Amino acid sequence: MMNSTSTHFVPSRRMGIYEPIHQMGMWVDFKGNDCLDASPPMILEVDPKLDNQSEDTSHGTVGPSHKYDQEASKPPKVLRRLAQNREAARKSRLRKKAYVQQLESSKLRLIQLEQELGRARQQGLYAGSALDASPLDYAGCTNPGIATFELEYGQWVEEQDRDLSDLRDALHSSETRDSELQKFVDDGLRHYFELFRMKAIAAKTDVFYLMSGMWKTSAERFFFWIGGFRPSELLKVLLPHLEPLSEQQCLDLGNLAQSCQQAEDALSQGMEQLHLIVGEAVAKQLGEGNYLPMVGAAIEKLDDLVRFVGQADHLRQEILQHILRILTTRQAARGLLALGEYFQRLRALSLLWSSRPRESS
Amino acid sequence: MQKALHYRNLLPSSAGGSAIPPPGDNQSGSVNLRKLVADNAVVVFARKGCCMCHVVKLLLNGHGVNPTVVDVDDHNEGDVTDQLSRIVGAAPQFPAVFVGGELFGGLEQVMGAHISGELVPRLREARALWL
Repeated sequence: MMNSTSTHFVPSRRMGIYEPIHQMGMWVDFKGNDCLDASPPMILEVDPKLDNQSEDTSHGTVGPSHKYDQEASKPPKVLRRLAQNREAARKSRLRKKAYVQQLESSKLRLIQLEQELGRARQQGLYAGSALDASPLDYAGCTNPGIATFELEYGQWVEEQDRDLSDLRDALHSSETRDSELQKFVDDGLRHYFELFRMKAIAAKTDVFYLMSGMWKTSAERFFFWIGGFRPSELLKVLLPHLEPLSEQQCLDLGNLAQSCQQAEDALSQGMEQLHLIVGEAVAKQLGEGNYLPMVGAAIEKLDDLVRFVGQADHLRQEILQHILRILTTRQAARGLLALGEYFQRLRALSLLWSSRPRESS
Repeated sequence: MQKALHYRNLLPSSAGGSAIPPPGDNQSGSVNLRKLVADNAVVVFARKGCCMCHVVKLLLNGHGVNPTVVDVDDHNEGDVTDQLSRIVGAAPQFPAVFVGGELFGGLEQVMGAHISGELVPRLREARALWL
């Protein structure tokens, strides 16, 4: 019996890391390339000859493999034809597998593009226009929890803008009483807490997404720290707008600033530690091809990331609360207005930046 | 990485120490955690390498406290959880911080107390600080 030619064997070093050895042959596409090397961004290339050849007897120069020894009793011509049929069928299966592979990577790429499109649209929505979200925004996002979060966040920003406008009017009016201002302060704080609540849910859905800051504008992302704004930044932004402050207030705010910086630094270092741990888990025993146990272990560590983002938000919440407690009602109202406008300006900066005229090349 | 402050205390067991081996490892049986939290001013129970425990330690170190850390791993987690449940009445979440023999809470509680200024008085009460 003829030995099989080299096309039957796929050397083990080209083996994909996802399939056990005996299924190796299936991963070679119709060009003879390893499917796993195909770059995902490439959109599907359809081979018109796919799957049309089932009994193509003109294929190949191969002989029968040793599995089919029981057919040795038949005449050689029949044997050869049977072998050629088997070979053709095998090649056909390989091509089909490759086709499905490319379909799947194209699908992934399509989803990715849709997501980006949806996000770009969302960014445009923050300019203040009505929320006329197209179906693509929802359909494009593979994670319904995140789609919900993006939608709710857009609404949160709109509400924030409206509240700030009302607060500004109230502060500039000489008739506004402290009790009214206190209500603005309480509502404002509650509004921020609502955002932290939304973020906690989103973190459980996709913590990487939350950490990426893709749900915020580009300038806000520039200042990002563990899923949101830096608490110490908050104090720096507010302080100049709270004058005049009493001595006790200065002392209290100074202590708060120091505690805040310490907590922030501790969390930052904890984050570095988490990087190390997850990195080590992923990098364990490279080169052996088997990835599932390592990646599985790394995924377990990501639960800590969710809790971490929660802790960062908790710090933001605490700092915000304590600042407002130290201040008088009017100071607190001015502070909240200043903070809100600061974020509005960052959003405006992002918009201006992205829509600036570019030189034509 | 921040270097931990090591206050070599002269008193036998109150103001903190270093990591002790996980309960269950010594031949005489599991460590009596009730005694451990009673004898040490600040005790932190956490999984080894837990980054939140790392943050807790940094916050405590910043106040000059070197807590006793109990490493929880797969072998002793059951025993530790059992003993702590009996001490506090419910299964604690790790990291779990004990101050002055009582459960103080997790990272959230420690950070909250740190920001509000309540942490230092509590540490002083538990004689984890001498200033």
